[in-house]
Amino acid sequence: MGDKTNKNVINKAGMTCSRRDFLKASGILVIGVGFGGCTIIDPVPASKGYLLVDTKKCQGCLTCMLACSLVHEGFESLSLARIQVVQNPFQGFPADINIAQCRQCVEPACVAVCPVKALHVDRWHGNVRTVNTRKCIGCKACIAACPFPPGRPIWNFQENHSQKCDLCASSGFWNEKGGPGGKQACVSVCPMKAIQFTDQIPVQTGTEGYNVNLRDESWGLLGYTTE
Amino acid sequence: MNGYTGKILRINLTTRVVSSLNTADYEQWGGGHGIGSAVFWDLVPDKTISGFDPANVVTIMTSPLTGTMSVAAGARTEIQGIGVQSYPFEWFTRSGLGGRFGSMLKFAGWDGIAIEGKADSPVWVDIRDGEVQIKDAGTLWGLDTRQTQENIWQEVGGKYGYGSWVTVGPSEALQRSTQRPAVLCIGPAGENLCRVASLIHDAGNGAGQGGFGGVWGSKNLKAVSVIGTGNIPVADPKALIEARLWAIENFISPLDEFDASKSVFATMPSNLRSFPAPLVTWKRSEQSRPQSCTGCQAGCRSRFDTALGNESSCKESYYYTPSWLVKDYVPSSDGPDPQALAADLAQKYGINVAEPETGILYLRDLNKLGVLGPGKQIDCDLPFDKLGHVEFIERLLEMIAYRQGIGDDMAEGFYRAAARWGRLDEDQKTGLLNNCYWGLTMHYDPRGSLEWGYGTILGDRDINEHGFCPLYMIPTMTAKNPPLSAEDFVQLFSERMPPFQDDPLMLDYSDGNMYSEHICKLVAWHRHYGRFWIQSALFCDFQYPDFFNWAAQGYKGITGEGEPKFFNAVTGKNLSFAEGIEIGRKIWNLDHAIWTLQGRHRNDVKFADYIYDIPNEVKFTMPVNNNGQWEYAAVGGRKVDRAQFEEFKTRYYELEGWDPETGWPKRSTLEDLGLGNVADELDSKGRLGKE
Repeated sequence: MGDKTNKNVINKAGMTCSRRDFLKASGILVIGVGFGGCTIIDPVPASKGYLLVDTKKCQGCLTCMLACSLVHEGFESLSLARIQVVQNPFQGFPADINIAQCRQCVEPACVAVCPVKALHVDRWHGNVRTVNTRKCIGCKACIAACPFPPGRPIWNFQENHSQKCDLCASSGFWNEKGGPGGKQACVSVCPMKAIQFTDQIPVQTGTEGYNVNLRDESWGLLGYTTE
Repeated sequence: MNGYTGKILRINLTTRVVSSLNTADYEQWGGGHGIGSAVFWDLVPDKTISGFDPANVVTIMTSPLTGTMSVAAGARTEIQGIGVQSYPFEWFTRSGLGGRFGSMLKFAGWDGIAIEGKADSPVWVDIRDGEVQIKDAGTLWGLDTRQTQENIWQEVGGKYGYGSWVTVGPSEALQRSTQRPAVLCIGPAGENLCRVASLIHDAGNGAGQGGFGGVWGSKNLKAVSVIGTGNIPVADPKALIEARLWAIENFISPLDEFDASKSVFATMPSNLRSFPAPLVTWKRSEQSRPQSCTGCQAGCRSRFDTALGNESSCKESYYYTPSWLVKDYVPSSDGPDPQALAADLAQKYGINVAEPETGILYLRDLNKLGVLGPGKQIDCDLPFDKLGHVEFIERLLEMIAYRQGIGDDMAEGFYRAAARWGRLDEDQKTGLLNNCYWGLTMHYDPRGSLEWGYGTILGDRDINEHGFCPLYMIPTMTAKNPPLSAEDFVQLFSERMPPFQDDPLMLDYSDGNMYSEHICKLVAWHRHYGRFWIQSALFCDFQYPDFFNWAAQGYKGITGEGEPKFFNAVTGKNLSFAEGIEIGRKIWNLDHAIWTLQGRHRNDVKFADYIYDIPNEVKFTMPVNNNGQWEYAAVGGRKVDRAQFEEFKTRYYELEGWDPETGWPKRSTLEDLGLGNVADELDSKGRLGKE
């Protein structure tokens, strides 16, 4: 878990340098504009919720993806799911599975880059980073800006707008209150309990803050590693 | 119908023409097997052809639930056509597999595929959403199933590979997927027209029964690849996710309630699975994970740090168990685990392990008799001194896949091999060749597991439907402290077996009841339930029917309530559990009509001699009715009586409305089911039963 006040600057390669260090070196403040390979991001309030995953616990069933599209779109779709599980059946454990959930970044490049503020911080729903699909002009800048492959904003090619994980704040096909403070469909249905909600800001650098160990003693009794 | 996308892909390999059928034209059949049988009926005018005939049609069907989050029903794919494995008839038959092929097919906009004809050179089919191309497979022919899939992934994924988003179709549309294409393919065994060849998808999903790998080989079809970016419509999305959560709440134990003392039950077939306890019998490293099919709640397979044997389970994991093969087996000090390697090789060659499972025991016994081995009457270079080790299984599978030496015989299946070796009659009398129904290897024994054995010989293949295994496994494994009285235990099953729910005696497997009209009802119910809910709606056989459930209130599993709840949420229909079973009866009758056209007569419906002449050894503790009182007792150690089994067949045919003299369907029965056209066809061929 990380410091809620932590502010980082994200470069094109997804590496980070501290905002203070950057400003000290440059002596200027640029908001939402690329500069020397780095993008300084307008300070925005941190999200009040995050998804953590345990890729060693995931069984690759894709139920999270099916649940995500079902509650948001009203149909099943892998391509429009806002969480993606990527796997290679011939690979050895644990490299055979990667999970790409939106990180609800403290300094979200996707928000910074949106020219019409369609991708915004939703203060009505716990500051979750989300897309106002009516405002989206389809420039796909958010998709290009996400530094974490596979990119977390999804291009909805059927309706021509981007969309992304909102922690189920707008899950219109589910009788549950979503968003931070509510329920998330992927968390609710994951058979392995390999996805967890937290209101604590994960460490923003690297993947360790978001890919955590959710395996307990019972997992060990089933014959799997708990380390 | 919601749940379906509306089209079935039709591929003619001879003309290389691609077209489609409307799924709606087949809606009455519900999905999966029902639609597959109906499409086969329409597209194959002469049902008497060989499975290797180019006119044979292989159907690959999904269900409305495939690709949805219905519990344990989101992944199955049904394969049908005339198979090449059974004997003396190559029955119209079925197989199936899980994984992600069926779901990906639907995301591409196709509810199924009908493959007809024969390509004049090796081909593979490349499906990218609505775009379908038949491509040259010259560079794929000869590769194993893993190499085949990885080559196709590379071609479809292009230079960007996988790990991020891959564009499917025109780049400007940005239709993307992070998923690898789902590929169904054959290995060398299929290319060499082995009757024991499987279709393989990903690392460990196989459709083995029927020898459809060999059928594809005869069509010069190496693989079908599909990547889809589309949608699967769901009639009531809220009802579907609520149904999923209802199942979790009421029928699935939380992971942290796993009790190692009950681990044996966690892997048992046909109970809704609470725990990811793969049925892998070699020593599994803890550096592994459970792995499941699309949408399934409990992984019954694994992936390992070594990747050896990834996704293999059950038969693949135990068919080469050294301790079964060799007394006082001493493992090698180094090298891979022979069982894991055996599983991995069978998947790569594309060999149905049901054949070598009993076949290896047969080879061992023939070697001990001194008739098979280096320099023997049946000459071969199999290293019997390495039985149980990697060297033996490597050589055996290579011989079968490439038809080397007596591998050419074994590629025909061990029943036909025994015939070639001049040993069939003798070894069927003694049971040395443990193939008891339609020339196929024994799975569950007709002398004990009545519903399994009778259902198989009245059908076309080893039914591989585990629905009543808990009836004999739970009491056997809890003999000292059964969870329920025998009467309550039986009721848990019988009360959800419409339309026979008032007859619990159908679950009495005792010696005095094994040919009764009650057992006829058991067999009929199992066939009808299976044909619809398991093979058409495609609920996973390893979890349904869920009669007895450790996690449920009063042990009452999800069956009866769960199946229609999911089916209706997805399709928008209002189908009852019993109505589904009635559709299953209709499908069973259509299948039976096809077998009748293929040449079946009641006189063909018989087991191998040893089933009638030699008692089995296994006894199960199970409920029996003793003078009106239910109690647990040992059942087994018996043989099937020839005359009484013939009487059973007569009762069964009468129950089904078929002519007991021939076993052929009657017009009145078929017309009652809306199958008048089927009756006409049988009549025209002189094979309609007498009223």
